[in-house]
Amino acid sequence: MISPAKGLTHLMNILVCLKQILDPELPSRDFRIDAAGRDADRNTAGLVMNIFCANALETALQFREKHGGKITVITFGVPSAEEILRKALALRVDSAVLIRSDLSQRPNPWCIARVLAAAIRKLGDFDLVLTGRESGDWGDGQTGALLAEELGRPCVSLADELKADTVNTALVRIRRQTDQGWEALEASTPLVITVTNNEHNVPRIAKTRDVMQAFRQPLTTWSLAELGVDAQSISEDLACTEVVELAIPIKQTHCEWVTGETLDDRISLLAKRIATVVQSA
Amino acid sequence: MNGEHATREVFWNVSQVWVMYVLLIPTMLVAGYGIYRRFRTWRRGRPEQRFDQPWVRIQFLFRHAVVQQATWQKRFAGFFHALIFWGMVNLTVATTVVLVHHDFGLPIMQGQFYLWFQSLTVDIFGALTILGLSLAAVRRWTSPSMPLVHSWEASMILILLLTILFSGFLLEGWRIAATNDPWGMWSPFGYVIAMASLSWMSIPAMQWTHAVTWWFHMGLVFGFLAWAPYTKLLHPLTAVLNLYTAPLSPIGGSLHAIDFDKNESLGVNALSSFTWKDLLDLDACTECGRCTAVCPANAVGKLLSPRDLILDLRHLSRTQDDFSKPIIDATPALSPEALWACTTCGACVESCPVSIAQMPKIVDMRRHLAMEEAVLPDTMEKAIGSLEARGHPYAGTQFSRLDWMKGLEVPQRADIQECDVLLWVGCGGALVERNQRVTRAMAQLLDKAGVNYAVLGREERCTGDPARRMGNEFLFQKLAGENIATLQRYQVKTVVTACPHCFNTLRNEYPELGGNFEVLHHSQFLERLVSEGKLSPKAQSEAKVTFHDPCYLGRQNNIFDAPRQLVQISVRPASVEMEKSREKSFCCGGGGGMSFVDEPANQRVNQERARQVLETGADVVAVGCPFCMTMLEDGVNAVRSSDPSTRPTKVLDVAELLWDSVRDQSTTF
Ligand code: SF4
Ligand code: SF4
Repeated sequence: MISPAKGLTHLMNILVCLKQILDPELPSRDFRIDAAGRDADRNTAGLVMNIFCANALETALQFREKHGGKITVITFGVPSAEEILRKALALRVDSAVLIRSDLSQRPNPWCIARVLAAAIRKLGDFDLVLTGRESGDWGDGQTGALLAEELGRPCVSLADELKADTVNTALVRIRRQTDQGWEALEASTPLVITVTNNEHNVPRIAKTRDVMQAFRQPLTTWSLAELGVDAQSISEDLACTEVVELAIPIKQTHCEWVTGETLDDRISLLAKRIATVVQSA
Repeated sequence: MNGEHATREVFWNVSQVWVMYVLLIPTMLVAGYGIYRRFRTWRRGRPEQRFDQPWVRIQFLFRHAVVQQATWQKRFAGFFHALIFWGMVNLTVATTVVLVHHDFGLPIMQGQFYLWFQSLTVDIFGALTILGLSLAAVRRWTSPSMPLVHSWEASMILILLLTILFSGFLLEGWRIAATNDPWGMWSPFGYVIAMASLSWMSIPAMQWTHAVTWWFHMGLVFGFLAWAPYTKLLHPLTAVLNLYTAPLSPIGGSLHAIDFDKNESLGVNALSSFTWKDLLDLDACTECGRCTAVCPANAVGKLLSPRDLILDLRHLSRTQDDFSKPIIDATPALSPEALWACTTCGACVESCPVSIAQMPKIVDMRRHLAMEEAVLPDTMEKAIGSLEARGHPYAGTQFSRLDWMKGLEVPQRADIQECDVLLWVGCGGALVERNQRVTRAMAQLLDKAGVNYAVLGREERCTGDPARRMGNEFLFQKLAGENIATLQRYQVKTVVTACPHCFNTLRNEYPELGGNFEVLHHSQFLERLVSEGKLSPKAQSEAKVTFHDPCYLGRQNNIFDAPRQLVQISVRPASVEMEKSREKSFCCGGGGGMSFVDEPANQRVNQERARQVLETGADVVAVGCPFCMTMLEDGVNAVRSSDPSTRPTKVLDVAELLWDSVRDQSTTF
C-alpha cells in the first residue's frame, strides 16, 4: 500500500486481472496442435504472463507510484499460474489471488468473466479493475468487457494512459487508442478498463530482493466451489462457444517465370499475369 | 694501492649530526601516519581470504615485483621504470650499509666491498637512476598523447628525486676532491665532478658548499620520505601488498559469488560494500594508464576508462568519510553509461602491473544496477527477460535447441545409456544461424573421430555467463543450479564446448556452486583427437589465416596454442598474427552482454577489431567463439560496405577449418 499523493484523501483500490499463456515466442516450428485439433499443445513451450496483462499491471504500478493506492492481482488458471502471481508480487503488488480451475475444458471469456466477477464480489469493492486488452493466445479480447457487464460497471477499452483527477477523487482521466488517434476521457469510478500497450507501459523488471521476497509472500487460493460459482451457469457459459477446428496455416510459395522476347514483352506479360492473379484472389 | 683498508668517513664535514637524528623522528611520524591512514581505510572493507597458499603467492610476487613482467609490456616505460626501480633499491641498500656500519658499529663498509659495491656499483646505479628519471620526465612532459594523469604531483616527484640525486653526486664529488680520497676513482661519476670542481673551486669553498648542500640534500630526502606515502609513491608498498594478495585464479574466475541467504548487499554502490582487497587495489594504482590504453570500449571513444574508474574510487575513498554514500554516478567514470560499456574482456586486469582487478569492480557495480535498482539498458533487459522465461538470451529467436542438428544423427543424452563426452552446444551454437554451422561441423568431427558423445538438447540452459556479467548474479545462480543438477543427474564427467564463455563458466564458476566437471574448449579436444590419430586432416587450403583470440579462452584462461595448432593443421600456409594477439588480443566487442546491445554506429568495438583483422591481409580470420563469430562477421561487413576495396575476409571457426580439411572434398574459401 502506498499512501496517497498530497491533496488526495482517497486511496484507489485497484485490481489487475492477469492471465498465464503459452510463450508466444515459442519457435513456430515447435508450435503444435493437440490431437483433437481444438487447442494448442503445450509441447515445449514455456508459460508466461500475457503481455497486455503485463502492460495493465505496469499501468497500475505507475498509477500507484503517482497517486498512491493498493494493487491486488488475480488470475483464474491451473496451479502453474501461481508463477505469474509471484512475478507480480516481485513487482510489489499488495496482494495476489489464485482461483484454481478444475474445469476439464479451456474456459472461454464468458466463463472467465463470471468467475472473476464472483471473486471480485468476494474480495470487496475496487475502484478500478484493469485487464489486458486481449490475451496473446486466443486473442478474444472479450474478457474485460464481459467482466464489466457481469459487475454492472462501465468499461473503457484500449486505454493506454491512466491518471487520477487531482480535485475529484472519484474521477480518472483515461487516454484511449482509436483508429483515428486518441480519445481523452474522464470517467468516474468504479470502472473496468482494458489496457493496451504504448511506449510508456513497457513492463518493468523486478528487483532481485523483491523476487526473493515474493516467494515468501502469502497467496490467497480459492477453488470455484469456494467462490460459490454454480456449475450449471459455468456449463452454460462453456456451451456458448465451440472451437470447431484449429489448424496451422500452411504457407506456400509458388514461383513462376515470366518469359518473353524483349523487356517490353516481359513487362506486359507480367502485368497481365498480375491482373489475373489479383482478380482470382 | 691495496684496497683492504679502503673506506670513507661517514658524516665527513658535517657538524651537529644529532640534528639529523632528531629530524628523523617527525619524518617517520608523518610518513608512518600516511601509511597508517591507508591501512585504516582498507580495514573498512568487507572480509576476503587472500593469504592462502603463501608459496604460490611469493612466486607470483617475485615474477611481478622483481621481474616486473607486466611493466615491461610497454618497452620504453618498462625500461625507465626498471632503471628507477633498481636504482632506488640500490640506494636503499647503500643507505642500510651506512646505517649498519656507522650506527650499529658493524664495520662492513670497507675493503673490497666498499670499493666494488658501495663506491662503484652505487655510483653507477645512481647515474642510471638519473637517466631513468630523465627519460620519465621527457616522456611526461613532451608526449601529449600519453595515457598519463598530468598532475603536478607526478612532476614534483620527478623534480624532487632528480634534485636529490644531483645534489648527492655533488656532495660525493666535493668530498673526494676536498679529502683527496685515494679511492675516489672507484666512484667514477663523483670523480669527474671532483676533477671538474678542483679546476675552479678552492678547497675551503668546497668544504663550505658541501656543508650547506649536505643539509639541503638531507632536508629534501626527509621531506621526500615524509611526503611519499601521500603520493603515488605509496605504490612500492601497496604494490607489493597488492601483488602478494592478488587473485590466484585465472581472470575468468575472478568474480566472486554472492551468498543470497546471507542477504548481503547485492552488488556495490558504496565503498563499504567493497572488500578490503578492493580498497587496497585503489591505493596500489600507479596511475600508469596501461589499463585504459588497452580498453576496447575506451579505444572506440566510449566513456569507460578503467584507470579513471580506479582513481575516482580512490579519490572518494580518501576524501569522503562516509563509506555508505552512493558511488555510482559520483563521477563520469563511475556513471552507468561507463559501466554498461564494459565488454568484461579482462584486458585491463591483464595489463595492470600491480594486479588491480578493475573488471570485477565494474561487474560489482553492475550487480547493484541490475539487482537492487533493476535498471539496465533496454536491450540487455530483453536478454535478461528471455533468460528468465526461456533459459536463453536470444529474445525472439525462431530456432529451438534442436534445429541445428537437422539431417544429422546427434545422440541426445536423455535417449542413451551413457556417453564419454557431453557436447555443450550453448545458446549461440544452437540458436544463432551462423553458429549452427559450427555446431554441425563439431558434431560431424566427433562422429568421424568415433567419439561417444551426446548433447543435452532441450535440457540445456544458458550457463548464465551473460546474466552474471550483466550483473544479474541471482539469475546466474539459478541457471547454473539447473544445469549442474542436469549434468549431475547424467553423471557427466567431461564437457566439451565451442563457446569460451560457456567454457569459462563451466570450468571456473560452477565448482564454487558444486559442479565439478572436466571442461575442454573444442579446440583443445579437437587437437587431442588429431594428435591421437582419430582425425587425419589433409591441409589443402591455401588460405592465409589469422587467429583471433577470444578473451575468455586466451587472456582469461591462458589457452593460446591449441586453436593455433588447429589452424596450422587445417591450412597449408603459415598463419599470420595480428598485432594485438594472445594476451593482448583486442576484444570482438561481444562479451559482458554487449552482443545484445546496439552500440552507437561510430563506437563499435567489432569494427575496430575487424579493421585490425583486415590489416593482416588474411583471407580468413579464424575464431573459436560464437560471439566473436557474429561480431567479427558484422564488423568485416560494415568495414567493407564503407570501403568496398577491402579484402573479403571470411570468418570461420577453427572447427569449420578442421572439418574442411578432414572431409573428403577440398574446399576453397
Ligand atoms: S574489461 Fe575490457 S572493456 Fe571492461 S574496462 Fe577492462 S579493458 Fe575495458
Ligand atoms: S589500474 Fe593498474 S594499469 Fe590501470 S592505471 Fe592503475 S596501475 Fe596502471
